[in-house]
Amino acid sequence: MTLNRRDFLKVTAGASGGLVFSLSLPGCAGVQTGYDEKSGDWKPDAWLELTTDDKVYFTLARVEMGQGTYTGLTTLIAEELEVAPAGIQPRFAPVASEYRNPLYKLQLTGGSTSMATSWQPLRVAGASARIMLIRAAASVWEVNPEECRAADGRVVHPDGSRSLPYGKLVELAAKQMVPDDPALKPREEWQYIGKKRGRLDAEAKSTGAPIYGIDVELEGMVYAVVSRPPRYGGRVRSFDDSAARTMPGVLDIFEIERGIAVVADKYWRARKAQDALSIEWDNSDALALSDEQVFTSYHKAADEDRGESERSEGDYNDAVESAEWVVEASYEQPYLAHATLEPMNATAWYRDSAIDVWAPTQAPDLGRIAAARVTDLSPDDVTIHTTFLGGGFGRRLTNDYIEEASAVAFRVGKPVKLIWSREEDTRHDLYRPAMLHRMQASVSGGQLTGWHHQIVGPQILDWYVRNAAPAQYPWAPKFLYNTLGRVGLMAEGIATPKDHSAIEGAIEYPYRVPNLDIRHTHTDPGVPVSWWRSVGFSHNGFAVETFMDELAYELGQDPYQFRRSLIDHEPRHLEVLDRAVRLSQWHDGAQEGRARGIALFRSFGTYVAQVVEASVEAGEIRVHKVVCAVDCGQVVNPDIVRDQIEGGVIFGLTAALYGNITFRDGQVQQSNFHDYPLMRHDQRPDVVVDIVDSEESPTGVGEPGVPPVIPALGNALFALTGRRQRRLPLKAQV
Amino acid sequence: MAVRLTVNGRERTVEVENDTPLLWVVRDELGLKGTKFGCGMGLCGACTVHLNGQPVRSCSTPVEMAEGAEVVTIEGLATDGDLHPLQRAWVEHGVPQCGYCQSGQIMSAAHLLQNSRSPSREDIVAAVSGNLCRCGTYSRIVAAVESVVENRADQSGHGEA
Repeated sequence: MTLNRRDFLKVTAGASGGLVFSLSLPGCAGVQTGYDEKSGDWKPDAWLELTTDDKVYFTLARVEMGQGTYTGLTTLIAEELEVAPAGIQPRFAPVASEYRNPLYKLQLTGGSTSMATSWQPLRVAGASARIMLIRAAASVWEVNPEECRAADGRVVHPDGSRSLPYGKLVELAAKQMVPDDPALKPREEWQYIGKKRGRLDAEAKSTGAPIYGIDVELEGMVYAVVSRPPRYGGRVRSFDDSAARTMPGVLDIFEIERGIAVVADKYWRARKAQDALSIEWDNSDALALSDEQVFTSYHKAADEDRGESERSEGDYNDAVESAEWVVEASYEQPYLAHATLEPMNATAWYRDSAIDVWAPTQAPDLGRIAAARVTDLSPDDVTIHTTFLGGGFGRRLTNDYIEEASAVAFRVGKPVKLIWSREEDTRHDLYRPAMLHRMQASVSGGQLTGWHHQIVGPQILDWYVRNAAPAQYPWAPKFLYNTLGRVGLMAEGIATPKDHSAIEGAIEYPYRVPNLDIRHTHTDPGVPVSWWRSVGFSHNGFAVETFMDELAYELGQDPYQFRRSLIDHEPRHLEVLDRAVRLSQWHDGAQEGRARGIALFRSFGTYVAQVVEASVEAGEIRVHKVVCAVDCGQVVNPDIVRDQIEGGVIFGLTAALYGNITFRDGQVQQSNFHDYPLMRHDQRPDVVVDIVDSEESPTGVGEPGVPPVIPALGNALFALTGRRQRRLPLKAQV
Repeated sequence: MAVRLTVNGRERTVEVENDTPLLWVVRDELGLKGTKFGCGMGLCGACTVHLNGQPVRSCSTPVEMAEGAEVVTIEGLATDGDLHPLQRAWVEHGVPQCGYCQSGQIMSAAHLLQNSRSPSREDIVAAVSGNLCRCGTYSRIVAAVESVVENRADQSGHGEA
């Protein structure tokens, strides 16, 4: 019997309702599945490989940047395949259409989507392999497969006395019929899903194992650093490298698209030679803005253009006209840097008309485009080797560091490792956009009758589409890349999804208000922007939940009761809100000198309510405690859910208290952790995480902890001081 | 110039400029990649190693300051293949997320435990407060160190943890 493994893929794809697209697209690297006559190893699908010596390899199509995919997704396979998670070796996926994120049609890790999109297909993949292994064993024993069972990497005979390890069965299993609709294990039989289990990568990460991009080591490797225009959009006018070229170890200095590259035999020598460069920049097209201009331009744009309607219900204008009272506020939120602790880096090696790139990237297929763009190569000539990521948070969705490493390696012809300094990482980031939010609400008879939210600021896809569009159409010739980028935008909603980055979290406004008017005024000051952990939710959460708090006080209501009275039609919202209130003993109030604030916010399908307790001590804001109630559907690994929510809280508090990228004459003014600080151990609050027990499909947890903590802290400070802060970061004294 | 130093008990000689940060010597000359580059200014602690028993930021320690010195890196903590108690605690408590800062966190905590038999929570927090974690693993770091301290108390008299 001949099996078409691609058909199998299509079956699993159908069952998942996802994984669409492109199995037959020309130019796509295919994943070879099937049985290897020589080794006897079996690849039942794009994710699994079982060997005759009882090894199980799992191809992880989502990168591991701390959010826990390495453990969480492996757990799904383990559960259905009946192999302990620790008995499965995950491998990071190569670029192939099978590994695309079905929501984005790109092979990227972001948007807290990994668990939600893998939950069904990976269990189906594991179950299919298990069933084929059971049928193989049953055929050996000549028994009914229904009476056999799989356990711990073996198939057990119906009489329980004998068993065969998977390794002995792979050859026969490969010849079994692929199950059309494999039955998944019922919840009661789960051994691994929902159980507290450690992370599979914890030991490697506690012993200094060389697993990150920056750790890649190749024979004969040299090092590169790049001097980039200090102002975005600047170019090299001229440069003098005569002094730098005489410095020890310097191999070459040349211009690339993004600046001047210095190549040396050692990293430190490259850095020192870089200091000896003299570069004159052409700033004729460069960013010239200074900080106050950002919000001045936003307010002007907001005055001139009400913006595109993103959600409208009832008649807001009527509500305002008949209102007894109209409440207004506007909120300003700054640019934010990602500040992954592992700075941007990549290692590239051009040889034999092809290039290999080792990189901590969230989007390896875009990395192929990035490398192809800056060389004479096509995407098919580019192989991306994804490493562990020392933090991602959205920064590594943009592969500018792969462009640089590839451009240098293409010219040098040796393995080249490019490392950014912290200063370069801070100043050449693509930032969480600065945003302005104008809020208005109408009140009649003590009731909220209308809600108006005008979001003012850029869209991220405008900046991202350059490499994303060609990655979706990898067969397209390179001269079309720029066109594809533009067409992708023009065809928004068709070729590319609608860009929700500015409006997400605002348009899903969940409270019961009869008249809604939510708008986006699109304006872009020219600062490069990108996704940043929780993206639009990060700023819309602050706007929506701060304004809800303001309204509660205006109406003389308890901020919890006010929210509760308007959301009793949303049971999952209500449950987390009530839980956070119970757990924090909200009604008892904070101890002397402290105050509490509350926020409720759903993002990426996950419901989170938080109560923050804070004070001001010795002129500094002190966050004492954050109580979180979380509903993320079915929990796959409770320990990881907790650590992600807690990590999100720390990330959000860092933004609320310190996050502020500012510009002067087009240059970023911050550079390192002294002027772009992160929350430290001794500033950390106690974080309590309460998880709702749920059988709903799992939703993401990497980002949803971030948005509510920012308004919850602001609301606590208002309760403490009676002064409302409408601009971030928050200050101890206002 | 040639610099001689002892790293994780082994005598090594490296040929580098004497202002080369110890970090790059450890990582690129000696191939010990566990010590991480984070900021280059001694602000984040990812590069923490022990120099003659003291925790230092190797990113801003010129290698000439390590001439003749004893250097211990994260790779030198395990003994005879047995993980250091802190490393075991890190695994048990599921501390690492992205993991990039954890070598530095562990080296800071290891120095504390070498010099203090039963540090308080305040001592622990003070010892690691110079180590930034962007993922926010702070509470588990403190819990993991405390578990090692408690274990010591339980095994009091049975030697160093």
